[in-house]
Amino acid sequence: MTRFAVLVAIVALAPLVLRYPELETQILTFGLLAVAFNLLLGEMGFLSFGQATFNGAGAYAAARVLIDAHAALPLALLVGVIAGAITAAAIGALAITGRGVYGVMLTFAFNEMAYYAAFQWRDVTGGDNGLSGVPRPGIFGVSLADPTHYYYFTALVVLLAFAAVLRVNGSPFGAVLRAIRENEDRARAIGYRVRRFKVTAFAISGALSGLAGGLYAGLYRFVPLQAIDLDTSTNIVIAALLGGTGSPYGALLGAAIFTVLSNSLSHVWSHWPLIFGLVFCAVVLFFRGGLWSIAERWSRRAAHA
Amino acid sequence: MLRTRELTKRFGAHAAVDGVNVEIRRGTLHAIIGPNGAGKTTLFNLLSGELRPSEGAVEFAGRDVTCFDATTRSQLGIGRSFQRTNVFPKLTVFENVRLAAQTRTGESFALWRSVTELADVSARAERVLDEFGLLGYRSQLASELAGGDQRLLELAITLATDPVLLLLDEPSQGLSPEDARRLIDRIGTLAERYTIVLIEHNVPLVMRLATEITVMNFGRVLAHGTPDEIRANPAVRTAYLGTRGTR
Repeated sequence: MTRFAVLVAIVALAPLVLRYPELETQILTFGLLAVAFNLLLGEMGFLSFGQATFNGAGAYAAARVLIDAHAALPLALLVGVIAGAITAAAIGALAITGRGVYGVMLTFAFNEMAYYAAFQWRDVTGGDNGLSGVPRPGIFGVSLADPTHYYYFTALVVLLAFAAVLRVNGSPFGAVLRAIRENEDRARAIGYRVRRFKVTAFAISGALSGLAGGLYAGLYRFVPLQAIDLDTSTNIVIAALLGGTGSPYGALLGAAIFTVLSNSLSHVWSHWPLIFGLVFCAVVLFFRGGLWSIAERWSRRAAHA
Repeated sequence: MLRTRELTKRFGAHAAVDGVNVEIRRGTLHAIIGPNGAGKTTLFNLLSGELRPSEGAVEFAGRDVTCFDATTRSQLGIGRSFQRTNVFPKLTVFENVRLAAQTRTGESFALWRSVTELADVSARAERVLDEFGLLGYRSQLASELAGGDQRLLELAITLATDPVLLLLDEPSQGLSPEDARRLIDRIGTLAERYTIVLIEHNVPLVMRLATEITVMNFGRVLAHGTPDEIRANPAVRTAYLGTRGTR
């Protein structure tokens, strides 16, 4: 609870310290993607390499209802959530039929299919030009045109979603996901229908990713083809592993660091991913639990001192 | 309570279990013995639903369960422990048992409750841990337990699912003689409350505990009877006990 309070404080104060509300909004939407990914990897033990599929589904669906129906923003986000959840449940149900690395490859393959579908389906997605002209309506009479206002709106939505994830992790359902991660066969032997739990977890992960996609569409008033490409899926994996899969806080931390570094370093040196790759290798090789586990160790030591 | 009819499992041309008819009666401790490769564990996998038979049928509580998978059979009350320790290694001892107890509630898809609110589940998990003398280790990771305690935890998980029939596959395997004795004693007390099918290599122990014994060899039932009948059976003596019964 105290950790969540610290998170709320940081999110609330961030725009006062760093005056880049767009970057901070992007940290939150990307952070939500990493948290959604971590529900599958950290809790259930499934490495999904296709999370951008659900992000893209949510972003396009939300953008479409904003453009075509002039829908209210909460409704558009809800449409994004549903689109992400349905896509993820369908892909998840197929991907989990492959065990181990085959399941990973299936999420990868479906992502590639989704990318080409978005690329071809220009009427809906704008193809490689992207989908532009997405309106960003205000909410309850408050304009969200100002980037800082939109940041606070996003912050509220993402924090609520994050609290929901903490709640799910601590639920009986979350406990079963960890049982599946630890020993799937034994979970089955004591009477759990493992498939149903996995598909439900995919749907939740997809719902969160679709929500992130919808917020992202509102942020840039534009959905680039990049929202659904494999690079984005890879970046989600990297950010979550960097932060640590032991906790949703870790995923959020990793996403924040990844977003800040990719934005700042890319201005300095175009080959910045090289440096980032080295940092990533060091973390994976020497700090298995990611940066969050290092932070936890420090705080424990500080508590003992 | 449990009955098989001409149960057969072939792997290619080899029949690991070949036309087996056994009947497990309520309240008995039924031991299955036989040399390595006799088909005991394969028979168990057929009983628990881990494997589907090539031919034949399994009946449980008057119901044909041949087509049911392991999850369904577990829900019907067939609890199974494994030959190799099969726990949730990076979860605590308490979580291991609580997860097993949770399977008997309809709450496993509850997303919005805290798992700690399921008071009956926690109480049941604690009771089972206490019974197995593991309550002191409740906050340790299962992987940190000593071998003997892991075997106990394995049993505790199976019991926490509230089965009516226990299938125990060599529960004392890999244990020190002292731990094995402790475990067998535990099984003896469980036999007062549960119907148990036990695969066990330690024949003197089996002779002491079991009420009925089935001897398997080459995938078939060689003999069936009380411990005294088995001891006196000449076919069993030549096939199996002759080499090991002197211990």
